[in-house]
Amino acid sequence: MKKKGVGIANMWYGIGNTGLPNPASAYVELLDDGTAIVLTGCADIGQGSDTILAQIAAEELGIDMDDVALISADTGVTPDAGKTSASRQTYISGNAVRFAAREAKGVVIDEAARLLSVDPEKITLRNKILTAEGTEKSISLLDCLNECRKQGKLTLGHGSFNPEVIALNSETGEGKPYACYGFATQVAEVEVDTETGDITVLRMVCAHDVGKAVNPSNVEGQIEGGVSNGLGYCLTEEIVVENGVIKNTDLATYLIPTSLDVPEIESIIVEDPEMTGPFMAKGVGEPALIPTPAAIANAIYDAVGVRVTELPVKKETLLFKMLKKEVS
Amino acid sequence: MVENRVVGKSVKKIDAKEKVLGTALYAADIKKKEMLYGKILTSNITHGILKSINTEKAKAVKGVHAVLTGEDVPGLNSTGMIIRDEPVIVKKGDKIRKIGDTLAIIAAETEEIAENALKMIEVEIEELTPVFCPYEAMKEGAPQVHEKGNILSVRKIIKGDVEDTFSKCAAVVEGTFKTGIQEHAYIEPEAGIAEVVGDVINVWCCTQNPHMDRKEIAANLNVGLQKVRVIQTTTGGGFGGKLDESVQIHLALLAKATNKPVKMVYSREESIIYTGKRHPITMKYKTGCDAQGMLLAMECEIVADTGAYASYGPGVATRCAVHATGPYYVPNVKITAFCIYTNNPRSGAFRGFGVPQVALAHESQLDMLAEKIGITPYEIRIKNALRPNMKTATDQLLEQSVGITKTLEAAKTRAEQLLKIRL
Repeated sequence: MKKKGVGIANMWYGIGNTGLPNPASAYVELLDDGTAIVLTGCADIGQGSDTILAQIAAEELGIDMDDVALISADTGVTPDAGKTSASRQTYISGNAVRFAAREAKGVVIDEAARLLSVDPEKITLRNKILTAEGTEKSISLLDCLNECRKQGKLTLGHGSFNPEVIALNSETGEGKPYACYGFATQVAEVEVDTETGDITVLRMVCAHDVGKAVNPSNVEGQIEGGVSNGLGYCLTEEIVVENGVIKNTDLATYLIPTSLDVPEIESIIVEDPEMTGPFMAKGVGEPALIPTPAAIANAIYDAVGVRVTELPVKKETLLFKMLKKEVS
Repeated sequence: MVENRVVGKSVKKIDAKEKVLGTALYAADIKKKEMLYGKILTSNITHGILKSINTEKAKAVKGVHAVLTGEDVPGLNSTGMIIRDEPVIVKKGDKIRKIGDTLAIIAAETEEIAENALKMIEVEIEELTPVFCPYEAMKEGAPQVHEKGNILSVRKIIKGDVEDTFSKCAAVVEGTFKTGIQEHAYIEPEAGIAEVVGDVINVWCCTQNPHMDRKEIAANLNVGLQKVRVIQTTTGGGFGGKLDESVQIHLALLAKATNKPVKMVYSREESIIYTGKRHPITMKYKTGCDAQGMLLAMECEIVADTGAYASYGPGVATRCAVHATGPYYVPNVKITAFCIYTNNPRSGAFRGFGVPQVALAHESQLDMLAEKIGITPYEIRIKNALRPNMKTATDQLLEQSVGITKTLEAAKTRAEQLLKIRL
């Protein structure tokens, strides 16, 4: 017989290293033609940080995405941005890039303020036009950059950001381990075959608070990838070690989910703005998989009344526990 | 507020085209003139002392340009992201602590020559009694993996009085949860290429942190940081597994020794054997609430097996402790997280850093309590979820951007629509 169940699980995840300094830095150069180069030490490992950081630079500089060239992760060229880990790069390197862009932008803003005879605070740069707020006055970014060059001014910026944390007390753990946290809720619907112990995850509904989704498609990609990663961790992926020796050293015996195993994934982006984040963004890389095994485990209990206490969930263990429950 | 023009938009990923067309250059794709291939000789025992190593026959093989042992590492001969406790190449007289510890590295004109030459290296190892169970390793008299003892780190979080509070709870649940070892299984196994240009050692490799690689290479080659340049190549996934050093230092040593470009690409098998895994963790939990389902106390003991070397172990155990309550307000907590050395494969950073493990435990415990007092899993969660101006277990005041009640409500609404159920 096949029995369906639904489970719910929450998670929280501190963005950045735990109670330790973990700064990132970046350089931005606004070029003569209004395009820009961003230098960041941040390593894109496929998750999309190059794109996210370019978006942040483009937004801050009031230029288009295509106007930004980004060079990342070359110690001969780019400044240190720390590790691509702890779901920290959007939040920490994002701020570093934004501050670097803001410093470069400051040069053209000052120049525009001088040319338009207003206070620099009144100037906004958007869509390649510098406008004096509350007036009709404006100047194009290109003209303003020309004026800057005539004055011998280059448009460069450096930015760095180190989240505000307090180290944990060694006896009580008291402290401020992270400047901000990501939050998420995932709901799993599963089907358990009571004769074979087979578990099929039918659907996952995943709501993630990311502060602000810099790139919504990319956030959805992280959630879908994370769920797949969590699904494998929960049901099939296990390195078998006997007396210190790994017994399954290839992908024929170490089983990651295939497209047939991955359920329908419904991603919901929740934006509870993080005031210290770049455009109020936090992070999502790790949060995406954290609640998945717990949600599936709770759904299994809902389906067959057996509590999961070990990962991965082995069908023979599940069958045994189901039988034991029937007998008692 | 002015609407954003680029942020918040699903713009195309800037690397999409090269990935789709297959033109992205991964480290394994890079070829250089007169390039050599690197290979590693690793230990096949879990605990022992390297009594002797003879590389003469391997060195004499035609096409072999260098065979290096621990004696040939000019710098620290030690690496590790939190604690430097892992030898780059085990030195004669030093300890072997796991399967896959490096005993020698080799650079040759082809991979086949390198592999054949590896077999000609003569090694003598005195075996020591290993320890594989972290609970055994914690006991007095257990085989010592490292000189400082097997208990690598202990993280405590203590607030209020759990013992007294448990006696006043309407419901208390207990349980032990265990998690297995997960492999990162990124699509691209570790790879890199190193070349000395002038007096700078260039290393192109897949990595999650080129600046840390630079530091580790410089320390082991005994050169200034300015003499090492690490350039990340297109990286086919990391998930935490490419935070530790893999090919980087070995390549730099071989390039320096041969004065030729040297390339190393792990096979899937090598990748699985040599690199870190998700920590297997045992968690003993006890959680109590009042008759309405408000959480009052939580006690847990977390034991993480970090294997033979620390890697990110202490960081993982600390993160477990900090996140052990889940996103809930719990006024009384007693959390202890141990990180333990054994002779198992090294555990390291893996997407989630210990939090998926504790999430299984705290989310199961919440469901168990809800069932005991007769409320739904959703109700117990929404009642206890952290909100702005509440304090966490570490006594951190959360001021803003605490979205857990919003994600709960959003997930419930959508799940009820899609699954046609009431949560």
